[in-house]
Amino acid sequence: MSVLEVRNATKRFPGVVALDDASIRVDRNEVVGLIGENGAGKSTLLKVLTGIYRLDEGEVRVNDGVIELTSPRDAFDHGVAMVFQEQSVIGTLSVAENIFLGREGEFIKGGLIDRGRMNEAARVELAKVHLDIDPAIRTEELSFAQRQMVEIAKALSLDSRIEGDIVILLDEPTSVLEKREVDLLFEIIRDLKDRAAIVFISHRLDEVLAISDRIYVLRNGAVVHETPATDATVTELHGHMVGRSLHHEYYREQRQSGAGERCVLEVKGLGRTGAFEDVSFALREGEVLGIAGVVGSGREALARCLAGLLPPERGEILIDGQPARLDSPARAVGHGVGFVPSERKAEGIVTGMSVCENVTLASLADFVRNGFIRRGDERAATQGWIERLSIRTPSGRTPIASLSGGNQQKVVLAKWRVAGSRIVILDHPTRGIDVGAKEDVYELVRDMTGEGLCVLLLADTLEEVIGLSSRIIVMRDGRVSATFDSPPGGKPNQVDLVRAMV
Amino acid sequence: METFREYLPPVVLVLLVLAVGAIEPGFLAVDNLLTVTADTMTLFLMASGATFVIMMGGIDLSIQGVASMTSCIVAALLPELGFAAVPVALFAGAASGLLCGIVSTRLRIPSFIASLAISGIVTTVAYWASDTRSVLIAAGDRDSFLAWAVGDTGPLQNEILVGLVALLLLGLLLNGTPFGRYVRAIGSQERAVVASGIPVERVKILAFTLSGLMAGLAGVVMAGRLGSGSPTLANEFLLPAIACIIVGGTAITGGVGSIFRTFIGALTIAVVRIGMTFVGVSVFAQQIVFGLILVLAVAITMDRSKVTTVK
Repeated sequence: MSVLEVRNATKRFPGVVALDDASIRVDRNEVVGLIGENGAGKSTLLKVLTGIYRLDEGEVRVNDGVIELTSPRDAFDHGVAMVFQEQSVIGTLSVAENIFLGREGEFIKGGLIDRGRMNEAARVELAKVHLDIDPAIRTEELSFAQRQMVEIAKALSLDSRIEGDIVILLDEPTSVLEKREVDLLFEIIRDLKDRAAIVFISHRLDEVLAISDRIYVLRNGAVVHETPATDATVTELHGHMVGRSLHHEYYREQRQSGAGERCVLEVKGLGRTGAFEDVSFALREGEVLGIAGVVGSGREALARCLAGLLPPERGEILIDGQPARLDSPARAVGHGVGFVPSERKAEGIVTGMSVCENVTLASLADFVRNGFIRRGDERAATQGWIERLSIRTPSGRTPIASLSGGNQQKVVLAKWRVAGSRIVILDHPTRGIDVGAKEDVYELVRDMTGEGLCVLLLADTLEEVIGLSSRIIVMRDGRVSATFDSPPGGKPNQVDLVRAMV
Repeated sequence: METFREYLPPVVLVLLVLAVGAIEPGFLAVDNLLTVTADTMTLFLMASGATFVIMMGGIDLSIQGVASMTSCIVAALLPELGFAAVPVALFAGAASGLLCGIVSTRLRIPSFIASLAISGIVTTVAYWASDTRSVLIAAGDRDSFLAWAVGDTGPLQNEILVGLVALLLLGLLLNGTPFGRYVRAIGSQERAVVASGIPVERVKILAFTLSGLMAGLAGVVMAGRLGSGSPTLANEFLLPAIACIIVGGTAITGGVGSIFRTFIGALTIAVVRIGMTFVGVSVFAQQIVFGLILVLAVAITMDRSKVTTVK
C-alpha cells in the first residue's frame, strides 16, 4: 500500500516545465531513492510534497486519499516531514525548543511552557538518532553534523504524534556529513524503516544505492527510470541521469601533472587555538594537495586561514620562499591566493550582479584607466573565459543568479583565473553541482595545474580527493595525522585514509 | 517586471506633473518648472550621497543633522573666513560621515544606530557653532561667497547647476568606477565581496564620507537660500530624503539603484508636495503623505517575493 504518492504531476514556471507528468510512489517500510541532476525537478517535487508549491496538473495522495497540501505545517500534520538541506534549526533556541517549534501546545501548563517536560520529550526524540546531548543547550553550540541530527529528530517527533504512517523526506542529508556520521545516519534510517517510509535524495549515487530499496531517476522534470536498488549500478544510474554514460576516466588521472620544482606555498607550524595546531606542508607548482579529514578535523579552518578569512595565531606562511602575512582576504588575494568557498551562494558569487561583473570582481583594478572601468576590456576578457571554461550563459551580461550551480562555480573559478591567482583553494568545489558540471570542474583543475598553478583541495568525497590529488594530507583533531602520495596509477586506498581520519 | 520597475518612477513623475498641471495650469510654465527644480535641489543633494549608503544595504540617518550643522558652520564662519567657510563646512560634513563609517565598520554597529548616534553629535556641534540660535548671513556675504549656489546663470538658477554637476559626478562615480561597482556588490552580497579580497571596510567608510559630504553641501546651499544657518534648519528633511531615494527606485535592501533614480525621486517628492499644497493639504499633514509614499514605494519597487523575513 502506498503511503505517499504523486500522480502525473506537472508544474510549470515561466519559461520552464519543472515537473513533467512525473509519478512516484512511496510504500510503507520502504526507502525510496530520488536522484537527478540539478534542475531535474527534485526540489520542485519536494516542495510539492511539503505543501510549498501546488501542482498545475496531477494529484498528491496520502494513504490512498487525494489531498491538497497547503503548507509545510499542513504536510506535517498529514505525516510528511522534511529534513531540509539548508538547515532550518534556529541557533538561538534550545534543542528541545527547535524540535517542538510550533507545537509547544502539548507542553503548556497554566499558560507557560513546562520546560522540564519538553526537555524530557526531546530526550526521547534525540535517543532515536543516538544523539546524547542536553536538550536544553542552545543549538548553535552544536556541530554542523549534530544540528543535522537534531533536524532529523525533529522530523521523527512526528512518529509518536501522528496516527497512521509517516513519511520522512531527506534532502541531501549527507552532503555535509563525514563518513562516520553517514554510517550512523544509515543505521538510523534502517531503524526507522519499521515505522516510516523514507525518501532519500542525494547526489552521491553510491549512498543512494546503499540505503534505498527502490530508486527513481528524474531528468528534465520527468521520471526517466525506476529500478529496485539491488538491480542497479552507479554507472547505469549515472547514465540515466545525464542521458549519456559515465566517462571512463572520471577524475582525469591521465592529465595529472607531476609536481614542479618550485615551491609556491610553504606552511610551517601553523596554529590557531581551537581550530588547528602545528600544521606544516609544502605545495609545489602543478600540484593538487588534498586535505582529508572529518568535520571538526580543522581542515575547513585551515582553508579559511590560508584564504585570509581566519588569521593564524602561530607559525609561518611562505609564498615563493618569502614570509607572507595573510591576515585579510585582500592580503591573500594580493599574494596570488584565490578562494573558492564551499558556500557558493553566500561567499562565491555576488548574486545580484552579472556574470561579467562577477568574473572581474577580484581584479577590477586591472580594467581601470583614469579611474574608470573600461567595460569593453572587461567584457572581452569575460567572453574569453566564458569560452575557455565553456560556461553556459547567454552572454556576459546575464545575471549570474540565472545560471545553474555548476556554471556559477565555473564563474567563481574564472574570477580567480582572471585575477591571475597562482594558489587556488577549492573548498568543496563540487558540492551541490550536478555530475556533468563536476566533470567540467575536474577538467578545469587539470587545466590549472597544467599551467603551473597549484591547488589546495577539500573534496566532497574520499573518492574525489584521491582521484584528483597528487598528494594528500589527512587531518585529525586539528593536526596532520598522515601524508599520502597519490600519483596516477598509484592511488592510496580509501581504507588507509579513513584509518588516519578517525 | 524588472523593466517595469525601472521605468515606473519617471513615468509616475511625468503623470504627476501633468496631473498638477491639470489642477493649476500655471504650474506647467517653464519658469515655474525651473523654480520647482531649483527648490528641489537641496533635497536631491542631501539624498544623493545617502544613495550610496542605501545601495550598500545600509542607511544614513544623520544627513539632516549634518546639513543643519554645516548651515550653522558656514553662517557662523562667513564673516571671518569669507569663502573659506564653505570648504570648512564641507569638511565638517565629510568628517562626520567618516566618523559614522568608522563607527559602523570598525565597531561593527548597524549603520542605522551608528548614524543615529552621529546625528546626536552633529546636532550638538550645530548648537555650539550657532550659539543655539539661528545665525543670519549678511546679504553682502551671501552675494560674494554663496552666489555659486544661490545666484543665477542666464535663465537658470545656480541650484540647478549645482544639482546637475552632482548628478553627473556621482553618477559617474557610481556607474563607472570600481568604488561604485563595489558599493553595488556589497549591497548585493557582502560576504562574497569580502572573500574576493576587496577592502570592504574602506569602501563602506568612503561611502559614508561621501554621504556626509553631500549632506554638508546641502546644508550650505540651504543656508544660502534661506539667508541663515540654524541647528534645526534641515529638520523634516530626513523622511523626504529617504523617500526620494526609494521613490526613485533604489532598493532599500541594497544592490540596485542609481543617482539618476534619486534625482527623479526628488522631483517626484517635490511635485507631490506642491500638488498637495494646491489641493489644500496642510503642511503638517504632508508628512503623513510622505510616510505613505515611502511605504508604497518600497512595496512597489522591491521584489518582495525574494524577501523571506523582515527585520
